[in-house]
Amino acid sequence: MSASLSRRKLLHSATYGVGSLALAWLMRQQSIGAPARPELVPRKYDLLPKVAPLPAKAKSMVSIFMQGGPSQVDLFDPKPKLNELDGQTFPGEIKYDNAAQASSKVLGSPWKFKEYGQAGMQFSELIPETASIADEITLIRSMHTGVNNHGQSIDAMNTGRAVSYRPSLGSWLAYGLGSESQNLPAFVVLIDPEGLPVLGVQNWSNGWLPSLYQGTVIRPREPRILNLDAPPQLQGAPQARYLSFLESLNREHLSEHPGESDLEARMASFELAARMQSAAKEAVDLSGETADTLRLYGIDDPATKDFGERCLIARRLVERGVRFVQIYTRYQFWDHHGSIRSALPSACRKVDKPSAALVKDLKQRGLLAETIVHWGGEMGRLPVIQNDTGPDKVGRDHNTYGFSQWVAGGGFRAGYVHGATDEFGHKAIQDVVTHNDYQATLLHLFGLDHNSLTFPRNLQEVSLVDKQPCGIVQSLLA
Amino acid sequence: MSPGDRRQPRRVRGEHSIVARLLALLAALAVLPRLNAEEVLTYEQHVRPIFKAHCFPCHGEGGETQAGLDLRLRRLALRGGDSGPAIVPERPDESLLLRRIMNGEMPPKGTVSAKERETIQRWIAGGAKTVGPEPEDAAEALISATEREYWAFQPLRLPVPPDVARVGALRTPVDAFISSRLERQGLHFSDDARLEQLARRASFNLRGLPPDPAEVAELTADDRPDALERWIDRLLASPRLGEHWGRHWLDTAGYCDSDGYSETDPPRPYAYKYRDYVIRSMNADKPWDEFIVEQIAGDELLPQPFANLSAQDQDRLIATGFLRTVPDGTASGAAVKEAGNAVIAESLKVFSSSLLGLTVGCAQCHDHRYDPISQEDYYRLRAIFEPAFDLGAWRNPSQRQVSLATDADRAKSTEIEAQAVQAEAKRTEKQNDYIAKTLEKELAKIADDKREPVREARNAPVDKRTPEQVQLLKEFPSVNVDAGSLYLYDNQAAEDLKKDAETIANLRKTKPVEDFISCLTEVPGQLPETRLFRRGDPDQARQALAPAELSVLVSHQTDPLPTKDAQLVTSGRRLAYARHLTSGRHPLVGRVIVNQFWHHHFGRGIVATPGDFGVLGERPTHPELLDWLAARFAASPVGSGEASSLSRRGADSNAPWSAKRLHRMILCSTTWRQSSRRREDLEQADPDNRLLGRYPVRRLEAESVRDSMLAVNGMLVAKAFGPAVPVMEDEVGQIVVGIENKNGENRPGPVIPMHGEDCRRSVYIQLRRTRLLGMLDTFDLASLEPNCSARNASTVTPQSLLMMNSDFAVEAARDFARRLQLEAPDSPESAESTNGLERIQRAWALAFGRAARPAEVAAAQQFLADQTQAFTARAGEEPDASKRIDPVHWAWAGLCQAIFSSNEFLYTE
Repeated sequence: MSASLSRRKLLHSATYGVGSLALAWLMRQQSIGAPARPELVPRKYDLLPKVAPLPAKAKSMVSIFMQGGPSQVDLFDPKPKLNELDGQTFPGEIKYDNAAQASSKVLGSPWKFKEYGQAGMQFSELIPETASIADEITLIRSMHTGVNNHGQSIDAMNTGRAVSYRPSLGSWLAYGLGSESQNLPAFVVLIDPEGLPVLGVQNWSNGWLPSLYQGTVIRPREPRILNLDAPPQLQGAPQARYLSFLESLNREHLSEHPGESDLEARMASFELAARMQSAAKEAVDLSGETADTLRLYGIDDPATKDFGERCLIARRLVERGVRFVQIYTRYQFWDHHGSIRSALPSACRKVDKPSAALVKDLKQRGLLAETIVHWGGEMGRLPVIQNDTGPDKVGRDHNTYGFSQWVAGGGFRAGYVHGATDEFGHKAIQDVVTHNDYQATLLHLFGLDHNSLTFPRNLQEVSLVDKQPCGIVQSLLA
Repeated sequence: MSPGDRRQPRRVRGEHSIVARLLALLAALAVLPRLNAEEVLTYEQHVRPIFKAHCFPCHGEGGETQAGLDLRLRRLALRGGDSGPAIVPERPDESLLLRRIMNGEMPPKGTVSAKERETIQRWIAGGAKTVGPEPEDAAEALISATEREYWAFQPLRLPVPPDVARVGALRTPVDAFISSRLERQGLHFSDDARLEQLARRASFNLRGLPPDPAEVAELTADDRPDALERWIDRLLASPRLGEHWGRHWLDTAGYCDSDGYSETDPPRPYAYKYRDYVIRSMNADKPWDEFIVEQIAGDELLPQPFANLSAQDQDRLIATGFLRTVPDGTASGAAVKEAGNAVIAESLKVFSSSLLGLTVGCAQCHDHRYDPISQEDYYRLRAIFEPAFDLGAWRNPSQRQVSLATDADRAKSTEIEAQAVQAEAKRTEKQNDYIAKTLEKELAKIADDKREPVREARNAPVDKRTPEQVQLLKEFPSVNVDAGSLYLYDNQAAEDLKKDAETIANLRKTKPVEDFISCLTEVPGQLPETRLFRRGDPDQARQALAPAELSVLVSHQTDPLPTKDAQLVTSGRRLAYARHLTSGRHPLVGRVIVNQFWHHHFGRGIVATPGDFGVLGERPTHPELLDWLAARFAASPVGSGEASSLSRRGADSNAPWSAKRLHRMILCSTTWRQSSRRREDLEQADPDNRLLGRYPVRRLEAESVRDSMLAVNGMLVAKAFGPAVPVMEDEVGQIVVGIENKNGENRPGPVIPMHGEDCRRSVYIQLRRTRLLGMLDTFDLASLEPNCSARNASTVTPQSLLMMNSDFAVEAARDFARRLQLEAPDSPESAESTNGLERIQRAWALAFGRAARPAEVAAAQQFLADQTQAFTARAGEEPDASKRIDPVHWAWAGLCQAIFSSNEFLYTE
């Protein structure tokens, strides 16, 4: 390369790492008549934005992952039969996870349900804010993973199979579509200040996809983004001085190597890194948001402050071109094996308002049409009592055979209830949506085909749904 | 190149993109046979390559003659198939073959380019000529004369170093070849780089580490004429050499500490022994013929069963780890037919790209499209290795381990196991008591009238329970207590049992640790047949094939390979083959290995594609030099004589297959000593520096970046060898050095101290396919699919971000600052007078191997003063004294971090 290589080109190559080898690969990818040449150099991967191969409705997604299993029969899926049989022996079959605390007594929901929105969608009194966006969301009452423990069911929802170490949904989207932002990661994870969820960092693992597609964690404390954010004591002027001193060292060195374009490219890459850093900082800085917006997300209220901030950061990220954002609650936040009467309302209190605010805010900014919002966990809960030691102590055990989640925007059918569970809310019996159906539908909305978005591995092409029987759920689409 | 070819490039979509423009350029420069109007087109030279690429798969190859048509010979094309003759000489319009190609019917997949169509058309129009008479048997035509004449398949020669005009610049015969080529372009060598630059270059090239300032001082003070040679000899004797060059060979071998394939990516606990074997071999300068024989067939040098192994015998077994590097799905239960077959296929890729410089992988399914390697050839090559892999009687990785335990070890283990079993029986008894007691408590909660029926139901065998009993148990699920759920009822009991289990586990830990070797061996007496798999599919086994060298190379072989060597307990196939490879007569092995060395010393091989010497690879820039080096290195029969008086320098002619001799030969040359500065004349004539009129500027490899930071900051722990230093996920999922300490739900527990293991050289850090150390991965580790003959050297922002912000970089810089403070303590500490000259000079000497220039010193002092002032002000604002940082230390740490981030640190010149 000559010394005249333009700065613009340098920046380009520095950002995406399109080195000469990568170009060689790109050139080989474009067949010029001859049969495909075997790859002599390792394939290079990048985060350049890619045009979806099929028509796409969605461009980005925020998944509010409610790990632990919110109780569907107390929030989304009213079952009068349970209240009718409250305290009596459950008439059907049940698979318990915790035998010691198991009981066969039916537990009617202690909370009242009402109809909301044009479709008369029913929600319990615990989530009034969610109820207020009934016309924007698609409520799926027939989710099913069928693997009755947290870890496996989380893996099923996030990675397509109930086994560990596979790439997560966000990694697949980053791999398939790249990033719309040159200054921010494609896949961002917002974790809870109170700690990591079940499966820890595996939740945003790239598995065997290139590590470029791993989720980047925005931590609830400084430095917010590791490596993309300076340690607190270096932020600001000290780091600026370090960069300018580095620049002077490099300039001196370059003067002895005129025309050495790789040296120039590396200098440019530090400048770009600094810009990415300020872009990242700007993206998580809420000081420019109006008081109305902060109130909308409940940031003015200690109970909703943290979750509200994270939902608002999620909006700011998708606004700036981040492909996939996932918000996590702390370890087993929704795992109400006991004391459900007090624990469930307090959990709802924390997330209800901020989650609904995200949908409202995206809508008013015209972003909802191309942004999918997902709210749900890896399971629901059983219709019977667990821990029958007094009304304040009772809870519900795991249930992955039928549970609820909602989605909104990005081409999902607004104001629509999909599927149903049996009369006890135990098993999905109508229009069952498996984790793979859900994933196929998501990919479809992104203009990706679940069988064609593959990665070469062990001489095979592997996919998110891993050839399991599934399909796009047409009736979920707008 | 075909500069006369000025065809318009094909229009492609997105023409304005960079890619499209590059494509256009590529098309314009495409390597195409020059077609003059007068030129006579022949089947062998012009048409066969097109048919081979597009038609042979269905019409001639591997017994496929669809529609009765075989196109392997002109004669057969003339005869044609079910629809009549495929071609009619001189009448392209009447030639069925051409018509079907023109209307897009053929080939069913892919397209024949316009250029290729034109060639076929003109060949037919010109009478469909051949070069000469065609062979009787079509199979003999498998390799055309043109293919046989390909440069890489020719015997090694020992060319005489050419005469050159600028004799004064020559130091070794290597220089004569390079200089001669430069002179042909009217170019000449660049001046020698400065001695301190050469010290640094040599240190990185040979050890992967920067030189110590004391070493540089000694070298620059040495005024003997051969001072640099002496310095190079010292480096060649360093144990760090093996760590650096061992890593190069491990790239080529595809070395990895895990089995991959499945999501669990099981670790390979004993793989490190192969890594250590490679490092030790490099340090000991083990002759490469021996090194190759051991890696391919070390096990066949030993009697079986393997017992009481000497250190050398162990090494020979360990060496076969070369053929155990690829992912092995059978470690995690994948089906043997698919996963085992993949192991064999991938191992053949590793073998062929690393030692033959050929890609054979595609011949697993069909004849190689470009190189003369038929599918039969592929399975003959596979047959050499088949008895060791043995798809029909597969052994998974743990079954391929050889134990190093002695009889005494075994007796002791048996005794301890007996004690453990006894203790376990006692524990089970206790557990049953606890369960019984818990059950009583649960029963007590049940109303009197139902209690006894529930008890009966609970105690009844599961398959004997009446429907009423089943219903009853459903009503009272809490009586279903068992060993697994006991903890939910009685935590104390569970803790007690857990303690017992720990005691038993600890007892078992006192057994002598059984050590193993992971290796490739044959089971005596088992000689599996190798069959050709149609389309590579193990379910479509066809004819059996005997072990043999690739057809195109077979003429270089003295004796055919045995199917079973009567003298050995094993088949002897690999041993015979390895001896053939190292006979000095093999045209590829020597060339491929010296080219790898050249590649690592100059950033590009004489053949720029070190893993592919075939048609799709690059041609050598200096074919005679390659041969000269290879013939000398591989002790070729032609390579023993001295060709020139220049050979006195830098070589010991009595050391065939010696890598250190080869290093010396290269490093003592003028070629290697040149400055890396770009020159106007070179930029014009040879912008890519293919002719080596200067030394290239090269980025350090990932391991060297990390190791150099640790060497410079004084933290590097020189401990060599042993099990891999573990890696773990940190709190956000980055892979760092450390001992994983997570609970069952993958959440982090307390950090376990590493006691300096975290500061060992990168080659000792666990290389797990799914968990590549973030620091190294960011700077381009070797590809593991399945091996790597040339790494990337990318320049991407994550590298800059890592240097700016990562814990590793910040902490490494702080350690560097502490070292400086310790080693140059005289500098004033106060903010006002931080001129720190001595310390700055020490930093430059450690990191760059040179003195800081006055302007650099001034800039550094200014930076330190500004940073110190800013940190002091910030510390003043911090009310919490425990959170106040030391301004001077952090200012120096910033200086050190800038040094680590700088191009001068990250590149050699």
